[in-house]
Amino acid sequence: MPLREKRTSFRILVALVVFHLLLISIQIPLGGRRKLFESAVFFILSPVQKTAVSAFHGLESAWNNYFDLRRVRRENQTLKQELFFLSQEKRFLEDRLGIFKSEADIRGVLEKYRASLIPARVIGTDTGNYYRSLILNKGTLAGVRPDMAVCDRNGDLVGRTIAPVSLNEAMVQLITDPESSVSVVSSTDKVVGIMSGTMQGNLCNLKHILTTSQGGKEGDDLTTTGFDKIYPAGIRVARILSIKPTKSVFKEIVAMPYFSYATIDTVAILPLVSGGGN
Amino acid sequence: MRETVLKDILRAALATLTAFIFYSLVGGIRPSLMIVLNAFSLIVVTFSVGKGEIFGAVLGAVCGLIQDSFSLGVFGVAGLTKTLLGFWTGYVSKRMDVVPFVRNAAFLLVMSTLELLLWVFFNAFVLRSRVDFRHGILLLQPFVTALLGSLILTVARRVQARRA
Repeated sequence: MPLREKRTSFRILVALVVFHLLLISIQIPLGGRRKLFESAVFFILSPVQKTAVSAFHGLESAWNNYFDLRRVRRENQTLKQELFFLSQEKRFLEDRLGIFKSEADIRGVLEKYRASLIPARVIGTDTGNYYRSLILNKGTLAGVRPDMAVCDRNGDLVGRTIAPVSLNEAMVQLITDPESSVSVVSSTDKVVGIMSGTMQGNLCNLKHILTTSQGGKEGDDLTTTGFDKIYPAGIRVARILSIKPTKSVFKEIVAMPYFSYATIDTVAILPLVSGGGN
Repeated sequence: MRETVLKDILRAALATLTAFIFYSLVGGIRPSLMIVLNAFSLIVVTFSVGKGEIFGAVLGAVCGLIQDSFSLGVFGVAGLTKTLLGFWTGYVSKRMDVVPFVRNAAFLLVMSTLELLLWVFFNAFVLRSRVDFRHGILLLQPFVTALLGSLILTVARRVQARRA
């Protein structure tokens, strides 16, 4: 390789490295808003991602339809969809049962709730940072806005939609992300705390529970309180795995979320006004 | 000259699109598979071996930044590591004979391991965030990249030889 060409190669490398280092350094301290360039790339490429995944699913479905027993498959899909909605409604009902007294009220609200639920499919995951985010195939055209709660097919909390939300795609911040915060309450002693991810697999921490506090038991269910004005109250979030006293003023409480990252495929995006939180 | 540059730009764009579609398909269909298979790294090493260091560095930067755009991590970390991966893979492969399958796999293994180490270094020591190794499964990523990369390159060479 001639010396001139070699020099050009290294100049390009140095330019690219400096560009990236500058890009990284302007984001420190972490936790700021997403950069315009980052959002622009998401807006441009997310439709490509959706098309690729949809095309694959289309091919897969055509193949299955051809070889499988068509009627059984269709029936199965209908039942699955019905089960999906019923699971969501069950959770919602559990929350609302104590609030609404008349059956007519419940029916009316339930109908509205079903109509406002947005079912979505997972089309992408965060490959660099597991358990932090997902990409869904529904965007602003389907009524998705940032800060909408997202549940799995069993009605367990998965996370919330965050910017950028493009026309047909949306990003979800998972509850296992260390930068996420969910206001939760324990089922037995009604201990209220904030749950965040730990970056240790899919485990979460229940924060700000004083060492002197008596509440909280291993095996307790944690549900949303609705205090954060994002997640409606009463959604099942996690189960307490362990409680340890520490040298600081707060206990170390580890919880295991109910949703499964490995098998998550279909989710429900909850309307902003549902539940008791808003 | 202008035609060659245009062709290279088109190739880079096509390669990036291929990487992105591959990443979308694998990530969308089997998210857990993405722990052991980094589609962007695979495409960067595969193209860098054939096209050289400049192509590798630019492709690495673009692929890395796209990966960062779809991630909640710090924007630019994957861009930086993949730029270096693409550059050094292209640079070394021009000076060493990496055509035989085993040698090629070993070379790609070293490069992918270095990329992973750099990514871990950046996250753990510079950005002070915890790196989740997923019980060590993440360490398999360089092996998978090396094996698949070598397979793709071997098949591509055979197809090219047959055409010639």
